[in-house]
Amino acid sequence: MIRYPAIMVMILAAAALVEPLAQSRVQAARPKESLAIIVNRENPLENLSMAELRNVFLGGRSHWPNGRRITLVMMEPGQPERETLVRDVCRMSESDLRRRYLQGLLTGEVLVSPKTLASPVGVRKFVFNVPGGIGYLRPEDVDDTVKVIRIDGHLPSEAEYPLKVEERSER
Amino acid sequence: MSERGQLTTHERAASFAPRAGKPAFLARYGSVLFLLLLIGLEAGVVRFVIRDVRSANNEVQRMYASSVLGLHRIGSLQYDAQETRRSTLYALTTNDSNLQVVYADQSRGADARVTAGIAAYLQQATLPQEIELAHRLDQDWKAYLAARNEVLGLILEGSIKEAVSYDLARGVPLFDRVRVDLEETERLYDEQASQRLANVAALANKTIIRLVTVLAVTILVAGVFVWVLQKDKMASTMQMARMQMDFAASVSHELRTPLAVLLSAVDNIADGVVSGKEQLAKYGAVIRNQSRQINGLVNQVILFVSTQGGKGRYTLEPLTIAEVIEVAVTSTAELIRKAGFTLEQDIRPGLPRILGDISALSQCLQNLITNALKYSDQGRWIGIRASEEGSKDHREIRISVQDRGKGIDRAELHRIFEPFYRSKEAVAGQIHGTGLGLHIARTLAEAMGGRVSVTSEVGVGSTFTLHLPVMEDLGEPGEAVGRTVAQT
Repeated sequence: MIRYPAIMVMILAAAALVEPLAQSRVQAARPKESLAIIVNRENPLENLSMAELRNVFLGGRSHWPNGRRITLVMMEPGQPERETLVRDVCRMSESDLRRRYLQGLLTGEVLVSPKTLASPVGVRKFVFNVPGGIGYLRPEDVDDTVKVIRIDGHLPSEAEYPLKVEERSER
Repeated sequence: MSERGQLTTHERAASFAPRAGKPAFLARYGSVLFLLLLIGLEAGVVRFVIRDVRSANNEVQRMYASSVLGLHRIGSLQYDAQETRRSTLYALTTNDSNLQVVYADQSRGADARVTAGIAAYLQQATLPQEIELAHRLDQDWKAYLAARNEVLGLILEGSIKEAVSYDLARGVPLFDRVRVDLEETERLYDEQASQRLANVAALANKTIIRLVTVLAVTILVAGVFVWVLQKDKMASTMQMARMQMDFAASVSHELRTPLAVLLSAVDNIADGVVSGKEQLAKYGAVIRNQSRQINGLVNQVILFVSTQGGKGRYTLEPLTIAEVIEVAVTSTAELIRKAGFTLEQDIRPGLPRILGDISALSQCLQNLITNALKYSDQGRWIGIRASEEGSKDHREIRISVQDRGKGIDRAELHRIFEPFYRSKEAVAGQIHGTGLGLHIARTLAEAMGGRVSVTSEVGVGSTFTLHLPVMEDLGEPGEAVGRTVAQT
């Protein structure tokens, strides 16, 4: 009688391991959409390279060319958009990014720490209100209150655009 | 010839007609005219009242639209301006970026309402002062919004200290300017509202003054109208009374002389003063003559009464002009002879017959002849002419009685046919008469479908003409036609 429960537990554990794998296969198959980088409309910036974008989001740059202080705005952890930015722009994990911000602020290596907002609308309104603000949104959340900049010379609508995030409908 | 005048009874109307034409019309239709006049005036008053009430209503509506609604708009502007600033300051009270964004959003929503309100104010501004103020408010508001945006940006990026410093340095002074502008706008609205209120009050006073004026004019016009009407009626009544008094005096005077003679003669006979056949015959003749005079006078009065108001009864029959004139001349022959007058007749031969009452027509002519006898003065001549005149469509017989007497003053021509009227010369000259002869002559002529006209020249004489219409179907002169009895 003792064996059977153990077998049942093993079966359930196996099922629990198999399900994420199945999901990951589905995710891999889903189409992706671009992740737009947005700035305030008063910001004359038009293009950033991936390296410059990484430097901005890691807090290595404090001001824009027009003299406005850079203010980072990000969505709360766990959102696909943030995961995409952390993974593809910062090229580190969420925990590593947090650790970097904490350590960097103490050592002075990080000049700007990001503001965290709960929704894409909040991000858009934040960037709209802050002249030096920069954030990210899916293209469908963007309107004309903010400006989308090119990354490596490409707009989100172009195939060569480097930042891609899973489509919201598949989540 | 300058004093020569001509008048016909048709031109100068009937009994009391010479003075009674217009007053008679007024007397008859005066009340209707007065009522219509009052209705017209009242309609005018009502029109004035309606117009003024409408003006007042429009003014009040304009006042409400531009003042009350304007003040409401200014109140909303002030509230939303405060809300814009208040929401900005709320963002300072939290470190939560999500809340800060919400406050920023509220501030921007409020500022959009203020901007729209200022645009509406600018659009409806008409006075130069309003336009200038609206432009200033618009500029000051935009300047404040620029500062507010900067403050919001600083708050959201976490630079709270800088945000407060910037707000104190720029935001507060700029918002104070906006507040002053809004207060000035409110004051301007107050002034305009007061002005409009004064306009409404002035309009109300104007309306009252107009009403009182129009009503006063109405009462005045009505009073004048009634006064004129009453005055005219009073004048007519007094004239009639005066004439009747004159008539009574005249008749009394005319009766007194023959009655005195009669009484004296009768007294003498009764007292035995008269003796002998010859004296009795003489007294008898006196009594007969005086009695005839009294009888004639009484007959004139009776004739006058019987011809008034169309009460006369006439027997119409075809008559020759000659027989009419003959009857009249025969009846007055004694008078003509005694007065020593020469009578000259000129009756054209072949005159058509007329339809009339022999008694009435001869009486009419008798009165004209008697009138000529009375007023011929030294020229003791009377001419009677009869002729046919007029056009083919309107033929008439004219019988004229001409004298070479005093003539009639032009000013009196229009009055000589009035009953009881006696000229000043007649009264002054103690010429006997009742003032009824010509009136009766004219009344009788009109009863026969004709008329009497007169031409006269002072010092030369007068000609009275009896006009009688010619009836086409009465046959040739002398031909017998059946009698007709008519009552007019």
